[in-house]
Amino acid sequence: MIKTGRYGKVLYDPAGVAPPTAQIVALNGWKLSQKMGKTKVTCFGDTNEVYVPGLPDVSGSVKGFWDSTERALFDAATAETPGMLQLVPNTTEPTFFWSGLAYLSADIDTTVDGAPAVAGDFMAGGPWTMAPAGP
Amino acid sequence: MADSSDIDAALIAKLQNDATLKAAMPDGVFFGLAGLSIATGKNSTRFVLVSIAENVDRAVFGGRAIESVLYLVKAVSLSGDSKGAAARIDQLVEDQPLTVAGYTWMSSAREQRVREMERDDVDASIVWTHRGGLYRIEMSL
Repeated sequence: MIKTGRYGKVLYDPAGVAPPTAQIVALNGWKLSQKMGKTKVTCFGDTNEVYVPGLPDVSGSVKGFWDSTERALFDAATAETPGMLQLVPNTTEPTFFWSGLAYLSADIDTTVDGAPAVAGDFMAGGPWTMAPAGP
Repeated sequence: MADSSDIDAALIAKLQNDATLKAAMPDGVFFGLAGLSIATGKNSTRFVLVSIAENVDRAVFGGRAIESVLYLVKAVSLSGDSKGAAARIDQLVEDQPLTVAGYTWMSSAREQRVREMERDDVDASIVWTHRGGLYRIEMSL
């Protein structure tokens, strides 16, 4: 079922406990990328390049507005251990989400004509899963 | 509960309650369309007109986070001190906090100056002066 992203959600637990229960406030977007590295194994006689899959990589980003009541994103950016990150596309389908241990970075962009915007990238700091699990 | 119309009302109240602006534009502060003069009960000839030129809502996950409203605020007159009225409008709005229940004021800033003359549709001998600005007011929820 196709749903709106309006009711997306980003949760984070700095101690890495699953499931995280604290929402990172004032965010309005997240992006996750699953890419599987490939190793070239082209041999004599092949008519084109040939690859075999390696390990899947997980990374992504979050973005939103700076909210002075919370600094979870910036605290996460300086954490030396990965926190538990959970990304929900739509809270009306709360059983669908991606989660895993992640290291985050944080950026803030302030201009004279708008609300300060924040953004952060993340990369896997442990195994990631998609819920519910596929067949 | 935040109500967007309360932002309009707060802006109008701020303009209405200023004695200096009232002295320059005694017929009142109106939203959208001028009404009868609050001073004389006749047609208004010196008044302040407020309207919404543009409105942008910015959302975060779960709801609206910021309302960014561009208001056209101008003194409209057949005579009188429109220059002084426009300057007073600027003093009252530019960088001045607006208190609205359910919102936190973020900013008030002029984006464009407005100054134009308009010949009356009915009586071509009459010229209206419009003077003020486009002010963006941003409120967070």
